[in-house]
Amino acid sequence: MIRAMAGLIALLFVLGLLTGGAGFGWPDPAIILELRLPRTLLALLIGGGLGLSGAVLQGALRNPLADAGLLGIAGCAGLGAVVTFYWGISEAFAPALPLGGMIGAAIGCAALVLAAGRAPSGPSLILAGVAVSAIAASLLAVALTLAPNPYALAEITFWLMGGLDDRSLLHLALAAPPIIAGAAVLLRTGPGLDALALGEEVAASLGRPVGATLRATSLGVALAVGAGAAVAGGIGFVGLIVPHLLRPLLGERPAALLPAATLAGAALLLAADLAARALPLLLPLAEEPRLGVITALLGAPLLIRIALRSAP
Amino acid sequence: MNAVLAALLLLATSASAAPPAMPAAARIVSLNLCTDQYLMLLAPGRAVALSPLARDPALSTVAPQAARIAWVRPDAEAVLALRPDLVLAGPFGAQTTLAVLARHGVPILRTALPQDFPAIRAETRRFAAALGAIGEGERLIAQMDIRLAGIPVHPRLEVLALEPRGYVPGEGSLEQSVIRAAGFTPAPRSGRLGLEAIAAHPPALIAAAVAPDYPSLATDLLRHPALAAIARRMWRTADLTCAGPWTAEAAATLATP
Repeated sequence: MIRAMAGLIALLFVLGLLTGGAGFGWPDPAIILELRLPRTLLALLIGGGLGLSGAVLQGALRNPLADAGLLGIAGCAGLGAVVTFYWGISEAFAPALPLGGMIGAAIGCAALVLAAGRAPSGPSLILAGVAVSAIAASLLAVALTLAPNPYALAEITFWLMGGLDDRSLLHLALAAPPIIAGAAVLLRTGPGLDALALGEEVAASLGRPVGATLRATSLGVALAVGAGAAVAGGIGFVGLIVPHLLRPLLGERPAALLPAATLAGAALLLAADLAARALPLLLPLAEEPRLGVITALLGAPLLIRIALRSAP
Repeated sequence: MNAVLAALLLLATSASAAPPAMPAAARIVSLNLCTDQYLMLLAPGRAVALSPLARDPALSTVAPQAARIAWVRPDAEAVLALRPDLVLAGPFGAQTTLAVLARHGVPILRTALPQDFPAIRAETRRFAAALGAIGEGERLIAQMDIRLAGIPVHPRLEVLALEPRGYVPGEGSLEQSVIRAAGFTPAPRSGRLGLEAIAAHPPALIAAAVAPDYPSLATDLLRHPALAAIARRMWRTADLTCAGPWTAEAAATLATP
């Protein structure tokens, strides 16, 4: 299973290096190095971070709808990145861009942990997340309206629907360390999630109190999703559908999902980004479709199928 | 008989004189950045109000002078309160405002947004005549032509005008006219080419506008390292936002290494 997914990722990675605006095939090495390599690696890392975050969030919040996008964490991350980017803070100090995204994501996580503490039931947690998500999207629009650059408002599609077009090695260098650190934190939450699946009291008696698991989840998600959203905007559905795709194959135990969810998220975003690059070469499109649009088109039908199948 | 001849003679002389010249407008309001600039160059003393963009140095070539003149939004009430006897406007936008002004009998003159230097000469003459400043118009055209004639002849290098969001203006655009006036050949590609396509077939030179003070994805794109190897010359956005005698400055800037 893991080996098959690693093979798929390797294949998608090579295809990613061979596809781009200059056409299919092997172009000038500078194009590979400056454009296709950062973009493909970012898709791999961000997708992995999103898939893993979704699996951990669904385990930690014990809710099959938990996802960084749906719960507004990614929206808060985008807001943080927008503030640092358009007001010139990240131009003066480049790491401010992922830092802004991570701070935003951390605020989103904190709001959710508070809501999870007060309203542990599934539906009200998701409602709280939808509210956080709406507030983040509105504030993002306000921030772009107030931004001093005249092009800012037109760029709302990037921040709401994501994209990896024209990212550079600088973006890779900024986003990769926090995403890898966040993934390391999230991959170690497995025992805590498994304990939590047995109930909060059992988890506490096993030495895995719910608070500690939620804190580790928040930290990891803030790092992985925050840094990713800062350079690629809001890419939805990856974290939501990846655990649902894997559960029929790997079972319900949360910890068993984590490595596979990372790889599946990476493969899914690599495939979506490959589609985003290949479609303008195959169809008369004026520009690339947004990455979040592709993941939603791929993810939403799967979600509908899962919803219909699990309906009583 | 003599009387009839004298009368005919009188008629002929009065007909050959200038057409019954309309009294030049004394209170002129401009609602468009492009007409703002024509007004400030041709008849600054009669400008009552300009569009708010006129005082933005990033977009307007007459920003310092315009800052001393009132500004007005395209709002019919606000414009009528200024009692204009001529309103200058663009071909698009503010159409409902202009319709109200026209119903109140205010004459309206619209710019045709020229896209090359012959059209700029014609537009300057048209505005100069309408504003009763024919001499000023001829002086501006002469200055522009001196500036253009002073541009040294270059080898015919291919130049790509690269705008924010990676957009390349096509055939018939002002940017291509400026590239030609600077002695170069515009690259025969246009639309959103994408960084890869530009890097794969690099032009001899990229012409880009000086970036605004604050960042955006659209303007950051022009600084992508994948384009770093291509030579680049900068022109000022204000010289190209509207086409006018000032646009010769963009050609001169582009021609100067």
